[in-house]
Amino acid sequence: MASGVYFCDIKGKPILSRRYRDDISISAIDNFAPLLFELEEESSVIPPCLSHRDVQYMFIQHEDLYVVAISTSLQTNAAQIFTFLHKLVAVLGDYLKTVEEESVRDNFVIIYELLDEMMDYGIPQITETKMLKQYITQKSFKLVKAVKKVKAVARPPTTLTNSVSWRAEGITYKKNEAFLDMVESVNMLMTHQGQVLRSEIIGQVKVKSRLSGMPDLKLGINDRGIFSKITSDVVNDGEPSSITSGKKKLNVELEDLKFHQCVRLSKFENEKIITFIPPDGDFELMSYRLTTPVKPLIWCDVNVQVHSQSRIEIHCRAKAQIKKKTIANNVEILIPVPDDADTPSFKYSHGSIKWVPEKSAILWKIRSFSGGKEYSMAAQMGLPSISGNEKPKFKRPVQVKFQIPYFTTSGINVRYLKITEPKLQYKSYPWVRYITQSGDDYTIRLN
Amino acid sequence: MAPLNKKIQKFLKDSIRVAPKISKKGELAELRNGLVSPYPQTRKDAIKKTIQQMTLGKDVSSLFPDVLKNIATNDVEQKKLVYLYVMNYAESHPELCILAVNTFVTDAQDPNPLIRCMSIRTMSMVRVDKILEYVEIPLRRTLQDDNPYVRKTAVICVAKLFQLNQELCIELGVLEDLVSALDDSNPMVVANATAALTEIHGVDPSVVSLPKLINSHVSQFLLALNECTEWARITILGALADYSAKDSLEAQDIIDRVSAHLQHVNPAVVLATIKVIIRNLPQIQQQNFKAISLKLSSALVSIMSTPPEMQYVALKNIRIILEKYPELLVKELRIFYVKFNDPLYVKLEKIDIMVRLVDATNLKQCNLLLTELKEYAMEFEPEFVSKSIQGITQLAIKYSGEKFVSKALDDLLELVDRTENLKDDCCIAMCDLLRHCPTNEKIASDICALLNSWAVPESSLISDAAKCNYIWLMGHYPEKFTDLEGKLDQMIENFVQEECMTQASILMTVVRLHTQLPGSTLQNVLEMATTSVNEIDIRDMAMIYWRCLSMPNSDTLVDQLCKSVAPIFENALDNFSTETLEKLLNELSTISSIYFRPQSVRAKRYVLRQNIVRGKRMDELKDMAKNEIAKNMNDDVLLDFGDDEPKTSSSGNVSSNLLDDLDDIFGFNSTGATTSSETKDMQSSTNKMNTSTTNTQDLLNLF
Repeated sequence: MASGVYFCDIKGKPILSRRYRDDISISAIDNFAPLLFELEEESSVIPPCLSHRDVQYMFIQHEDLYVVAISTSLQTNAAQIFTFLHKLVAVLGDYLKTVEEESVRDNFVIIYELLDEMMDYGIPQITETKMLKQYITQKSFKLVKAVKKVKAVARPPTTLTNSVSWRAEGITYKKNEAFLDMVESVNMLMTHQGQVLRSEIIGQVKVKSRLSGMPDLKLGINDRGIFSKITSDVVNDGEPSSITSGKKKLNVELEDLKFHQCVRLSKFENEKIITFIPPDGDFELMSYRLTTPVKPLIWCDVNVQVHSQSRIEIHCRAKAQIKKKTIANNVEILIPVPDDADTPSFKYSHGSIKWVPEKSAILWKIRSFSGGKEYSMAAQMGLPSISGNEKPKFKRPVQVKFQIPYFTTSGINVRYLKITEPKLQYKSYPWVRYITQSGDDYTIRLN
Repeated sequence: MAPLNKKIQKFLKDSIRVAPKISKKGELAELRNGLVSPYPQTRKDAIKKTIQQMTLGKDVSSLFPDVLKNIATNDVEQKKLVYLYVMNYAESHPELCILAVNTFVTDAQDPNPLIRCMSIRTMSMVRVDKILEYVEIPLRRTLQDDNPYVRKTAVICVAKLFQLNQELCIELGVLEDLVSALDDSNPMVVANATAALTEIHGVDPSVVSLPKLINSHVSQFLLALNECTEWARITILGALADYSAKDSLEAQDIIDRVSAHLQHVNPAVVLATIKVIIRNLPQIQQQNFKAISLKLSSALVSIMSTPPEMQYVALKNIRIILEKYPELLVKELRIFYVKFNDPLYVKLEKIDIMVRLVDATNLKQCNLLLTELKEYAMEFEPEFVSKSIQGITQLAIKYSGEKFVSKALDDLLELVDRTENLKDDCCIAMCDLLRHCPTNEKIASDICALLNSWAVPESSLISDAAKCNYIWLMGHYPEKFTDLEGKLDQMIENFVQEECMTQASILMTVVRLHTQLPGSTLQNVLEMATTSVNEIDIRDMAMIYWRCLSMPNSDTLVDQLCKSVAPIFENALDNFSTETLEKLLNELSTISSIYFRPQSVRAKRYVLRQNIVRGKRMDELKDMAKNEIAKNMNDDVLLDFGDDEPKTSSSGNVSSNLLDDLDDIFGFNSTGATTSSETKDMQSSTNKMNTSTTNTQDLLNLF
């Protein structure tokens, strides 16, 4: 339970604060900046929870802000506080577009109002933007889509405390549609030789619902855990296999399924059926993780030769190890070079290459990379002839980014999406898209 | 037509009055004028500007009466603004709020639930007894309100009131209302009531009997769980985690009912669910254990793809859970591989977890981890590299095969060779390995060969612990060093400037090798240690050595002291005591679980475990030793020491590299006691000496 929530600038100075309890002094936050500073002096390990004279400071960083929660009790649920802070930033993001020092300064009033509704006496209350929007009266300056000013006096919507607390009643659309995006992010760690040390697929099912009334949705996907009746001996050997071409039905086993709060968890637990009444607009319906080993989708063979005190040579061969018909878009290969390298010269057949000195790396961009193709490049950079003080050699991996549309690595696909609205009984249109992309950690280690 | 147009324009201009704008300067006079302006828009604007000034830290309390005039309005937006302002000054200028009390009471009956809530929420925050007296009727009424939104706010107000004025709160009897709110039909009200009761229980446990209430409401909680917001779920799960199931059937039932929440998207809900399951796990039947632990481990793993702060909490909690259920995540090693862009604090925790969860009987897995750790040791962040090297040692000692230890050693040797500034960490690590395999000749000679090759050891090693280890090594393997005397001399030169661990180590080594070194060296060191060192323990130590050496047949005595064999270094990972562990398991996901500081321990002086570095351990040990010395000094019965000894040695296991130091301290301990008694009783000195040596012998046999 938080005693107060603070927005601090990059120096740790409070810009906006809301105290929920008086068990901390007004000046408690003033200790945060020196505390942080002192710790930074000492080492580069800055844990997100600091303690000073029995006052606990839990903080997250977002853009140029520190969002801090202060508590005096060690019994405070730290997990809850951290999740709340992240949620708070997300909600503000919905209101202010960007959450940074300037936008916070411009929107004091609405942030106060939100803080007041989202937390009471340090206990998180309601954090659904869609519901908050209905009874938060203030307008923000940068609100993406101004909420229709409700003519009627604002009052808490009745659904707020119902069991369906995420959807208001009386929503209508002319055309009823639901869009499903299956996004898979591949995280992979490979050695220089191409051995995969770690690979995981993090999948998200994002829904944009534009449906009237209180629709009940039922989603069917080809997960083995969900449809255990269909037996299949297909072993996902990592070959990004086609979903449609194979005659035998491919079933994948998803781990760590996580659902949006609208999904009836007990129904899923007992009957393995995903049913839900969706919130209006965009939301993430579910996420999952797969640890089945996968072959690298984009593989780079990078060779670096350092001729110390004269030059560095880099050869890179990139290969798209995906099906011929599929295309990887916006492929970016970031190859680290020493800090003091300069005067780059490149030879390459495809895409564009530039040197990014602020990241000490060269960036090779290939807009579209068809499956099975292989491109290569060579780069040469000068190294200063006088070596400075023996700097520790920085070992950084090659990072790769890409997007592959119309394709899921795991082979998951949507069997059906049934939409029923008992009262209105309209015709509705579900749309499904698939995309595979690099996660935040798709890296190849260098020798 | 033109003139007519103009005329119309002029007419319009004259007849429409434009609400004046408030400038951004925010001067008090301007704001005051704005607040009493006849234009509603201007007034509203003025309130906003006032709040803005307030946030910027300006004292706008003088505007209080003017702002308050605006509270009587039908415009919800304006009312909310005024309440925001009032709420802020409710804390700093409570006396001003008296002016608003009538409005509060009226607003508490407003048809709009939002306004009812605002008024009750604000009223219960004002620290003025006069206002609190007015709170009774509105609070009672709102607690019974038709609207659950109002009820959920009102139950929290009870907790607020309780903190402000306990007597009044009890007198009003609203606590009973609060308790009955646990049976409310709305799950959010139930959750907030639970939170409020937990809060009150925390302030004064005698007022409400929370455990009893939880006991009688378990079924309500389990029902409400499926129908409320994520935050309410956390509160309810928190209450469930405090409940002990009556039998294995009930425990199983609770686990079955909550485990669906392991799939909730909010990681805090997941962790709260894990806590409930862990609580009930000891009670369930063995055959169900496997399925549940599978679910648990997959849920824990899932938190590894959430924001880093959350991962941090989870990693700290995993550390606790693993100690109770070490086999839980054994298949998930790869999940904890460090990601390139993890924050440093997460990286360090991950290394710790990996070393802990690796299966020490699985060579393949250990090899995999060893390669991985070696890879980390070649990164650039110094803390990360240190931790990886430490991890390599811990892993090698955990796996414990001599072959594996040699392999780890080879890796370390390669690392030192590769990067200059790893000498400190590698030196400590290698000595730890050697303590684990003291008899392995190959390891000893490899390490000594490397360290011997360092030309100027006192400048290549920086940290106290590293130097201490280096000198310890010289003391134990003098024959493997060339120019031993010269190297020691270099260290001795800086004796006074060194920190205490190094000093102690030099002292012991010099005494140990005193037959091989010129007599002046020993004399020199003992003199420096007794005269120029501030650290009392070092002085005492030197003093005792000196006395021992000046005694008749000192050689055999010193010999015996030095020949004592330290116990083999078996476990490089520290563990919680059973008691602490049980407490921590009940406090998962709280801040205390991050610090590994269970609530009950907090009252006592307790060193932050997280920050315990080697140096601190030395302090601890020294404290222990000091107490022991003091005790023995006063105690003529030497054998008492033997009784205390096993206890000390068990805590000694926690310390990693100081066991032999400790051992030596033990040695001088008992002799110290003897020497002091010897001064009292000169005659029987030889007699006593015999007792003491046999005692030392006994002590050493205990190991």
